[in-house]
Amino acid sequence: MAKRVILFLAVFILIIVGFLPLVVMLVRSIMVEGHVSLAAYRELLNSGREWRLLGHSFALSFLTAMFATLVGLPLGILFGRTDMPFRRLFPVLFTFPLLIPPYVTAVSWVSLLGRDGFLSRTLTPDAAKVVSAWLFGLPGCVMVLFSAFLPIIILLTMAYLKTIDPSVEEAGRLVFGWPQVLMKITLPLLLPGILFATLLVFLLTLGEYGVPSFLRYHVFAVESFTQFSAFYDFNAATAAATPLLGVTFFALVLERFFLHEKTLHIEPGPGSKYALVIRLGAMGKWFAALTGLLCLLVVVLPFLVLLLRSLSINVYKEAFLRAGDSLLRSILYAAIGASALIILGFFLGYLVQTRAFRFWRAIDSLTIFLFALSGAVMGIGLISLWNRPITNFVYGTPIIIILGYLARYIVIPHRVTVSILGQIPPSMEEAAKVAGASWLQRVGLVVIPLAKRGLVAGWLISYIFCLRDMGITMLVYPPGHDTFPVRIFTLMANGSPELIAALCVLMAGITLVPLGVGGMLYKLKGISLTRIG
Amino acid sequence: MECRGRGFSRKAALIFLVSISLGILTVSCDSPKRDAKAKTVVVYVSEDQVFSEPILKDFEKGTGIRVKAVYDTEETKGTGVMNRLIAEKDNPQADVYWANEPIRAEVLKQKGISVPYVSPNAKGIPEIFKDPKGYWTGFSARARVFVVHKGFKPKPRSIRAYVDPRFRGKTVIANPLFGTTTTHIAALFTLWGEDRAKAFMEAMKLNKVKLSTSNGESADLVASGEFVFGLVDSDDAANRIRQGRPIEIVYPDQGENGIGCLIVPNAVMLIKGAPHPDNGKKLIDFLLSKETERKLAIAACAQIPLHSAVETPSEVKRIEQIKAMAISYAKVARKLQEIQPFLKQWVGY
Repeated sequence: MAKRVILFLAVFILIIVGFLPLVVMLVRSIMVEGHVSLAAYRELLNSGREWRLLGHSFALSFLTAMFATLVGLPLGILFGRTDMPFRRLFPVLFTFPLLIPPYVTAVSWVSLLGRDGFLSRTLTPDAAKVVSAWLFGLPGCVMVLFSAFLPIIILLTMAYLKTIDPSVEEAGRLVFGWPQVLMKITLPLLLPGILFATLLVFLLTLGEYGVPSFLRYHVFAVESFTQFSAFYDFNAATAAATPLLGVTFFALVLERFFLHEKTLHIEPGPGSKYALVIRLGAMGKWFAALTGLLCLLVVVLPFLVLLLRSLSINVYKEAFLRAGDSLLRSILYAAIGASALIILGFFLGYLVQTRAFRFWRAIDSLTIFLFALSGAVMGIGLISLWNRPITNFVYGTPIIIILGYLARYIVIPHRVTVSILGQIPPSMEEAAKVAGASWLQRVGLVVIPLAKRGLVAGWLISYIFCLRDMGITMLVYPPGHDTFPVRIFTLMANGSPELIAALCVLMAGITLVPLGVGGMLYKLKGISLTRIG
Repeated sequence: MECRGRGFSRKAALIFLVSISLGILTVSCDSPKRDAKAKTVVVYVSEDQVFSEPILKDFEKGTGIRVKAVYDTEETKGTGVMNRLIAEKDNPQADVYWANEPIRAEVLKQKGISVPYVSPNAKGIPEIFKDPKGYWTGFSARARVFVVHKGFKPKPRSIRAYVDPRFRGKTVIANPLFGTTTTHIAALFTLWGEDRAKAFMEAMKLNKVKLSTSNGESADLVASGEFVFGLVDSDDAANRIRQGRPIEIVYPDQGENGIGCLIVPNAVMLIKGAPHPDNGKKLIDFLLSKETERKLAIAACAQIPLHSAVETPSEVKRIEQIKAMAISYAKVARKLQEIQPFLKQWVGY
C-alpha cells in the first residue's frame, strides 16, 4: 500500500511540475478572450520568417550533433578502449565545458576571437572582421555548442563500450585485426547508444537559447524567448514553441521505438573489467598529442583567455560586490533543487526499474521530453500555471525556480536510479521481504544504502545542472532572487569585459568545487559520469 | 531490521530531510504577503544593471529598506520587465518601475498599471519630461545622437542624412523593433505624419542602411570604421569616447528649422496595487533627487541631468544647450504601438 501511495505521489508531483504547465500553456495559447482561436498558429504558419528560423534551428542542431559525434565517438573509443597516455585525464578536461552554462563558453570565445579579442588584436583589421563575423553566426554557434556537448558523446561512448560483452570482441580478434573488429563488431553494437547520444545533442542544441542569443544567430528557441520576454505575447510565444515541442516529441517517439530497450540500461556488462585493450604502441603518443591539441583548442585556450582577462584582484572584488549575493543564492537553490530532484528521481527511477505501474514507459519518456525541451518553453509554462494571486506562494517565491529545476532535470536522478538499481540484484530486496520487512524498510534499509554512492553522484550532477540553469530561471525568478548565471547575463549589458570574464571564472569555480570535493570524498570508487551516463 | 556499516543511517536520512525542509522553508517564507509590511521595496528595472544597481544599493544604505529587483537583459531591450508588469497586472509583485525611457511608462499608464505620485523631488524637472498627472516622472536623460567616425567629412547634421545618397551603404541603425530606436521612429511618425515617415523608412532601406542588434553594436561598428555614422544613445557614444575609440558626437537637427534632438529620460512610476507603496514612494523620491542625477551623470553611462545646476560630464552637452525634439511622449507611446506591424514588416519579421 505504502509503495503504491508513494509512487503515485511521485508521478503526481511529476505531472504537476512538468506536464501541467505545458498543458496550461497550450490551452492558453488557443484561448483568446474566452473563445478558441488558432490565430497565433495561423500567423506562425503564414510567416516565412518562422520557417526560416526553423531552418536555422535544424542547421545548427544537425551540424552540432554531427561534428560532436564525428569527433566524440573516436575520442570515446580512445579513452575507453585503448592504452593511450592521459586517457583518464582527457575525459575530465573535455567534460569541463558541459558543466558550465554554454554561454560562458561563448563569452570566452568572444574574448578570444571577437573584435577586441586577444587573437583578433594580432590580425589585420580585415581578417579580424572576417573572424568576428564568422564567430557571430552559424559557425560560431556550432563551434561553441560542439565544445559544450562533445563530452556527452564521449562519456556515453565510454559508458556503452562497457556494456559490450568482451567475449564477442575477443572472438573477433581471433580472426581480424582491431580496425576490422571495431568496424564490424564494436561499432554496430555501439550504434544504438551512439544514435541516442547524437539525438540528445541534437535536441539539447535545438532547445539552446543562451549561445545563439549571445552570438546573434536567430533560431527558434531565441524567437520563443523573445516573443515572450520582449513582447510577453503568450500566444505567439507558445505558438513559436510548438514546433520545438513537436520535433522533440517526434524525436523521442523514434528513440522509444528504435533505441530505447537498447539504451535504457548502461550498467557495465558481465566481465567488462576484463575487456580487451587496444594497444596503440608508438602511435599512442601521436594520438595523445592530437587529442591534447584539440583539448587545448576547444577547452583550455578559451578559458585561459577568460582567466587572463580577469587577472586582477580588483576585478574579482568588484565581481563579488556585484554578484556575491546571487552566487550564494545559486548555491542554495541548486542544493535544494538537487536534493528535491534526488528524492523524486529515486522514486520515479524505482518505478521504471521495477516497472511498478503499467505506464512506466510514459513516465520515462516524459522525463526525457522535459529535459530536451527548451528552458524558455518550460519557463513560459510555469508562469502560465502559477501567475495567479492564489498561487503567489509559488510564483512570488523561489519555489517556482525549484519547480523549474524539478521539471527540467528530473531525468538525471531518474536515469541514475534506473542505472544503479539495475546493478543491485533483486534477491537483496526479496530476501528482506521474506524476512518481513515492509516496502519502506526495504527501500530505506536495503536499496538506498546499496545505491548510496550512485545517489550521491546523481545529486552532484543534478546540482551542477541546477546551478548552470538559465533558460528557466531567467524567465521565472522572483524579485531579488536572481541566480548567478542570470546575474552574469544581466550584467553583460554594458558590464566591462573584465568583470564578465571574472564572473564567468567564478561560475566555473562554483561548479567545479563540489565536483572536486565529491571526488576527493568518495575517490569516485566505481562511480563516474561514464558509468552513470 | 538494522542498517549497519556503510549504509545510510536513519540519522543521516533525517539530517538530509530536515536540511531540505529548512531550505524550502527559507525560500518559501520570503513570500510577498509575508514581507508586505517589512522594510522592503520591489523594483523592476529596465536601466542597465551595471548602472542602476549601485544607485539602489545607495538607497538601501541610506534608508535601511531592502531593495528586491528584477533587471532587464540586453536581449529584451527594456521591454522584458515592462511586459512582466503587464502579465502581473492582476497579481502585482512590484512597487516601482524604473524605465529607461518614458514610452514604456506611458504604455503602462494607458494600460492602468500605474498610479499617480507627484514626488517633491520632481520640482525643477522640466514639464515636458513629466506626466502632467504624475503617472511617471522623468530624470537623467540620454540624447539620441549621431556617432561619426572621427575625421570623416561631410558630417551628418540631420536625421535625413540616412537617405542622403552620399552616405549610401555607409550607415548603421539598431533594430527599430527594440529599445530607443523604436521610440525614435515613433517620434518621427508623430512629427512628420504617417506618409512622410513611411516614405523616409523606405528611402532609408533603399539607401542600404545596415541593421545592428543594438545601439552599442552600432557605436562599435562606427568606431571600427565599418560605417561612417549611426544613430545611438548618448551614453553609448560617451562610453566609447571614454574608451578612446575614434568617434565624435553630432547632435542632429540643431539648426533653426531642425526638428531637434530626441531626449530620452529615464522614467519612474508607482505600480497600482503595489505591495509596499510607502517604500515605493521613498524610492521614487530618491531616484528623482539631484544626487541620483549627479551619480548617473558621472557614471560610465554619462546621463544628462534634468535638474539644473547638476554636474554634467564633459562628453555630453547640458540639457539647456540641446535643442530638444518637441514631442508628446504620450502621443509617441500610442504611435509606437500602432506602428509595430509596419516595423515588423520593415525589418522582415
